[in-house]
Amino acid sequence: MDLTKLMDLPGAMAAFMYTDKGELQAHTIREGNEITPQVLGLLTRTCVANQAIAAMEASGWEEVTGQTGFQPLQGFSVVGLEWSVVMNGNCGVIAKNRDVDYEATFSALQAI
Amino acid sequence: MHIVKQLMAIPGVIAAGEYAYRGDRFTSEGALTDEFARMASILCRGNTLSVNMQAEIFDSFAENCGCRPVQGWITRGKRVTVCVVSNYFCFIENRDELLNDVMAIMRAKVGDISDDLLVNLYAKIGGDVNEALY
Repeated sequence: MDLTKLMDLPGAMAAFMYTDKGELQAHTIREGNEITPQVLGLLTRTCVANQAIAAMEASGWEEVTGQTGFQPLQGFSVVGLEWSVVMNGNCGVIAKNRDVDYEATFSALQAI
Repeated sequence: MHIVKQLMAIPGVIAAGEYAYRGDRFTSEGALTDEFARMASILCRGNTLSVNMQAEIFDSFAENCGCRPVQGWITRGKRVTVCVVSNYFCFIENRDELLNDVMAIMRAKVGDISDDLLVNLYAKIGGDVNEALY
């Protein structure tokens, strides 16, 4: 996966890949922001955890309510004060809130 | 206009509502029964506390890195997306531009709280703001 393509998304500050266990595999960080490899290393752990929880909730919700469309999970995002992290599968992007295009970012990650 | 009514007026919004951080109060409009709204409220509360906890850990690694306080989260399903900002939730269909529009409205109306989000919201429902929240 070419992380530079993810860095072309609106507001992208960093893009990264991680293993199924949440270990950071590769990353690109745009110069001049506060994101560090150390933060990314922790963030990737939460990416795996959050997606696992969201998938469990989607499955449980469909089972209990009979509503559909929640599965399969196609990503999760945490919206911080200044930036959002958008993740799907084994890739994620951090983007500035004022510029982020959530739909384009989810779509780009889904296409990987 | 109240944000829930504003959201419900948008084509493609399935349901919208408000939940309390104590997990004992909720309101919603749209395609959720009272019981489903109660379940959604509990789910939203759990996820919000979880991502806030994560942000506090990030902050201890890199102070003022821009993640804290967390404004909300999004779960993207195949045909439905759940958006949460502050203590409001919104279930939407996956239509072009709808997610961006809904997030822009929610963040403008109830997001971007500069102080401690949880303490702010807990105070709104009359809780003890000094009590440990998680």
